[in-house]
Amino acid sequence: MTVFHFFNCAILTFGPHAVYYSATPLSEYDTIGTSAKAAAVYLGTALVKLVCLATFLKESENGNFDPYQELLKVLINFIDVAGLYFALTQLTHRNISQNHKFQAVGLGWAFADSVLHRLAPLWVGARGLEFTWEYVFQGLEANANLVLNLSLAALGSLMWLRKNKPRILIPIIYACAGVLATMPSITRLHTTSYVLILVLFEKSFGMAACKGGGL
Amino acid sequence: MAGRRRGRIGGGVEVLDSIYSVVALVFILVACVELGDAATAVDVYRLIQYDIAGVPYGSRLAGLNHHAGASFFAPGADLSRTVVMMPVRELNLTFLREYIISNQPLGGLLLLLPEKVGNRIVGKIKSKDDGLMRNILVELEQLLIHANIPYPVYFAFEDDKINAVLADVRRNDATGQPPMATTGGYKLLVSIPEPKRVSSPTITNIQGWLPGLKGDGDTNQLPTIAVVASYDTFGAAPALSVGSDSNGSGVVALLEIARLFSRLYSNPKTRGRYNLLFGLTSGGPYNYDGTLKWLRSFDQRLRESIEYAICLNSIGSWKNELWIHVSKPPENAYIKQVHESLSDVANELGVTIGIKHKKINISNPRVAWEHEQFSRLRITAVTLSELSAAPELLESTGGLHDTRDSLDEAAVYRTIRLVAESLAKHIYGHQGRNIQIFADNSSLAINPFYISAWLDLLSRAPRVAPFLSKTDPIISSLKKELSDHTVELHVQHETIDGMFSFYDSTRATLNVYQVASVAFDLLLLLALGAYLILLFSFLVLTTRGLDDLINLFRRPPSRKVKAA
Repeated sequence: MTVFHFFNCAILTFGPHAVYYSATPLSEYDTIGTSAKAAAVYLGTALVKLVCLATFLKESENGNFDPYQELLKVLINFIDVAGLYFALTQLTHRNISQNHKFQAVGLGWAFADSVLHRLAPLWVGARGLEFTWEYVFQGLEANANLVLNLSLAALGSLMWLRKNKPRILIPIIYACAGVLATMPSITRLHTTSYVLILVLFEKSFGMAACKGGGL
Repeated sequence: MAGRRRGRIGGGVEVLDSIYSVVALVFILVACVELGDAATAVDVYRLIQYDIAGVPYGSRLAGLNHHAGASFFAPGADLSRTVVMMPVRELNLTFLREYIISNQPLGGLLLLLPEKVGNRIVGKIKSKDDGLMRNILVELEQLLIHANIPYPVYFAFEDDKINAVLADVRRNDATGQPPMATTGGYKLLVSIPEPKRVSSPTITNIQGWLPGLKGDGDTNQLPTIAVVASYDTFGAAPALSVGSDSNGSGVVALLEIARLFSRLYSNPKTRGRYNLLFGLTSGGPYNYDGTLKWLRSFDQRLRESIEYAICLNSIGSWKNELWIHVSKPPENAYIKQVHESLSDVANELGVTIGIKHKKINISNPRVAWEHEQFSRLRITAVTLSELSAAPELLESTGGLHDTRDSLDEAAVYRTIRLVAESLAKHIYGHQGRNIQIFADNSSLAINPFYISAWLDLLSRAPRVAPFLSKTDPIISSLKKELSDHTVELHVQHETIDGMFSFYDSTRATLNVYQVASVAFDLLLLLALGAYLILLFSFLVLTTRGLDDLINLFRRPPSRKVKAA
């Protein structure tokens, strides 16, 4: 039962990535190289973030909301944005369209995030006899995270890769990107539901912007 | 990761090798990870497993891996794959007896003892419930010890965690769903190696010798008086058999008497003309096997010089009446003398001493009192005890009910007073005189703190002989204490009579897991499959169009035509 449960939770956590890759035209254009490069950039970004967090953040003594600490956490989250920028613009990709590029980068980013944050707890915890809902929730969170990352990549590509953007949308794009990026990346269920709602909005918005901008 | 990247760009064979070694390392690390933690882990103590002359008794299995149930009557439950958890308070003993005797199948039994309270309840009024609980425990113990149970039986103490689990299990049972592999619930797991026979169970007899004052020109052997107590116990849960009253009280009394007389004998002016022999024997529950071997090891002169022996057995919870048990008729001169000297002191203390005579039957191997072993070798001996009737085999040997709070320290104090004064009056020839040798507030006063400290120690040390190694801490403590009070200490190691054999694995850890059923995981798999298929279809629809989706499911017929 227990390995079975691990198998189930693993499917829930990593299945959508594989399905996304195979269902969309990404598989036809063989963009796995791009995704792999994005995953590697994510690794580097995560390392830098860890180091910064360890160096600059102080342990809060009484759990009160310290605006200085929160501000620091937000600033460190911007390193994420910087990493995404690097992955989107600086790496050399094969000749693939903008549309597919951001999808591949977002997919690779989300996959690396899932593997790094969720594989180890899954392996250690889900195989035991004890049953908890924790790992199912973690899988659901991985799904939401995938959508979030795709949206971020879409917004990123809109911001940095497109030259002709409709004038009115520019401030809105930057505002949404800012909000998404500063979302605290602590994994909690209520955060996930909040993310889901926001992300759905962003995704539809991003798609509309792509179509509107013309490709 | 870096290796893979280099491999992709243009790596060589050496890089691949390093990848393999890294992967191997990861596999090893992963395999070493312990499988997940339990909801609760509880200390449990196994029912004793032993044979008498090849006939098996006790619980014959140790490993446990079944679902938890809370009652015997759950409808539709398969009891042979269920562990029944039951607090001892709510046990129906007649039903249990029937169940065990008729050999009905059961996966396992977990009995919950009332919460372990602190050891010292000095001065606390004992409630009626305590007495009731004691009776239940005595009866339960006798039932379990004398039955042959083919499934594991464990004892645990009630605490918050396990009470919560029990409440949950009861709730699940009440909804009519018995715990099975397909319905979820709690799973109890004890992983413990299979019990093996203890190869040579040893008993350790400790004796201390206080020589008397030999006058000048006195060539004859001085007479000896022996004070003996057996210190080991036997009970349903060997890891919990501390035997505070049977016979921790006797041991403490012996140690205190030894201490008092060592003070008297340390000064040649107050040394009596009797040798004193103190014996802490083991093997008490097994027909006083240890005492027999100890006596057999004496040489003839010593044996002949023993004037009489006093054996102490369970003297910790009496109020007004104590009993002397004898095997020679009470009219015998020596017995009369001992009885009178004890009665004199008893009168002073305001208690009575009764005398009970039980003849020895040489052909019967059962030895109910320690003095019978002396009598079989023609040494005058009596047993002083609060029990008025001779206990059966493995009865009153210290067990689950016999804990520190069942003792009355004042009773131990009175017994020490009784025995010490009568011994001293006999040794120094002050029979009939109205003096108190060990008076309170004198330098020879009986020390109540000594008594309570040793009672505390013994109540924390389970002492079932086959599970006591030769170097066990409690044996070392007793040896050191007796050697402090006596001039010569001698230790004898023997093996228990071959009729008894014991099996180990007496304590373990119980892991309680909350498990989901197989059905749940299957449902989850189906749901996930449906979700992924839906996701796939949705993505194909939105990115490639409906035609592509339909084309996926249609095999292109043209290729087959080409091949033909």
